[in-house]
Amino acid sequence: MKTNYISILFALIFGIFLPMSLRAQDTDLIIIRNEVSVPSEMDLSQLKSVLRGEKYRWKDGSKVVVALMKTNTPVGTNTCRKLYNMSSNELNKYFLALVFQGKVKAPTFFNSESELASFVAETPGAIGVLQNVYEIPVKTILVDGKKQI
Amino acid sequence: MERFSGCALIVIAILFGFSISNPLYSQNTKIRGFVEAHSVLKDGEVSFGFGEQDLFITSELNDHLSFLGETVFKYDPNSSTEFSVSIERIVIKYNYKGNHSVLVGKHHTPINYWNDTYHHGRVFFPTVERPLLFAANILPLHTTGVSLQGLNLGSLKFGYEVMIGNGLGSNQITDNDKRKSIAIAVNIKPIEHLQIGMSYYNDVISEGAEVHGMVIDEKIKQQLLSGSVAYFGKKYEFLTESTFAFNKAASTGSVPANASYMYGGYKVSEKWIPYLRFDILNFQSDEIYYDNEDRKSFVLGLRFEINYLAVVKLEYQYEDREILGEVDKLTAQIAIGF
Repeated sequence: MKTNYISILFALIFGIFLPMSLRAQDTDLIIIRNEVSVPSEMDLSQLKSVLRGEKYRWKDGSKVVVALMKTNTPVGTNTCRKLYNMSSNELNKYFLALVFQGKVKAPTFFNSESELASFVAETPGAIGVLQNVYEIPVKTILVDGKKQI
Repeated sequence: MERFSGCALIVIAILFGFSISNPLYSQNTKIRGFVEAHSVLKDGEVSFGFGEQDLFITSELNDHLSFLGETVFKYDPNSSTEFSVSIERIVIKYNYKGNHSVLVGKHHTPINYWNDTYHHGRVFFPTVERPLLFAANILPLHTTGVSLQGLNLGSLKFGYEVMIGNGLGSNQITDNDKRKSIAIAVNIKPIEHLQIGMSYYNDVISEGAEVHGMVIDEKIKQQLLSGSVAYFGKKYEFLTESTFAFNKAASTGSVPANASYMYGGYKVSEKWIPYLRFDILNFQSDEIYYDNEDRKSFVLGLRFEINYLAVVKLEYQYEDREILGEVDKLTAQIAIGF
């Protein structure tokens, strides 16, 4: 009888926390930008191409700088899945291989979203991916007309 | 004292000028390495060994200028220490506009997918070793020279590279003849994970030149025509490459040779990938440049990707060689990046 109560308790806890963790993974992403050079609107395919390192420069000739959360963070994992269609491991492998070929510069990775937002705000040509908007003055990009994707 | 002050002013002026032209740019240098260790069962004997230790350096000098260096430390029975160091790549890249760049230095010759994609990074190799196409000296793996490169252009993600180099028989600092090698490579990526490429290579190998430890007896005009299809998707992996070589000498005329391989893998999960590879090398009886030995190889293996920096492979290879006969071996390898 005691075993049954414990099983029910575990099931309840599991039932409560599993959807919460799934929601954390599914949260919408916000694309932020530096004011200099980076367009305020993009379509999703353009955004994915930029984030994959396929575009070296913006239209005015400034260098594209990509900022991401580390792939072992929840936001980083969500970014990998939603914008790269990759796992964290696949994303790391993807960029390591391209850097080894001399074809791209790897993104700059961050541990915290506030650090990432500050970096994007201060670095001309920078574009970054966040889940939460902070109070610091950082511009966002509309992707297919939406603020969140 | 006045002279010293004048020099100091000039130095300060130069530094000031440099700081203005490179505002707030901090140099970003990264060092990485790759190495592998293996065990081979062949002819009833087990051997342990390790391969090249590859030191890989990248550096961003400013918004347009970057450096890539690759140095390999490897076993060399002819060295007094039994090891030697070789510079595999020294590439200075200037990104002059959009996705277009000019590259100077010692490069992987921009022909063929494998050569351009993996080369010494064994953690990236889908199989334990390179295909025979690369191991049998069919291709000029490295070229010192200058190239123009464009990547991911337009909706088809068109890429090109045109390279002029010292060519075969040259050393690292001087060309051994007046003729330059020319490599032209193009590729497209029409859908995600798929790359289709073609390349052409032309060189003249002078009489008396030493190539791959062999002295060339007469002048050879070499042309290589290569094609590749690579698909590395979520479930399936497929890579095939073929090179048609035409070595023309006064005594033999133009002699064709062909080297091809086909690789296929299936991702049972993200970490487990069983795979197959077939290799074939075909030469004519009057071939004077390549080792004139037809070879066929079959590889069956299992790759376990612990993560992107550590990969374990277990592989069986059967090879049928025209002169040496049949050989087979079982290899276990761990390749890492660090």
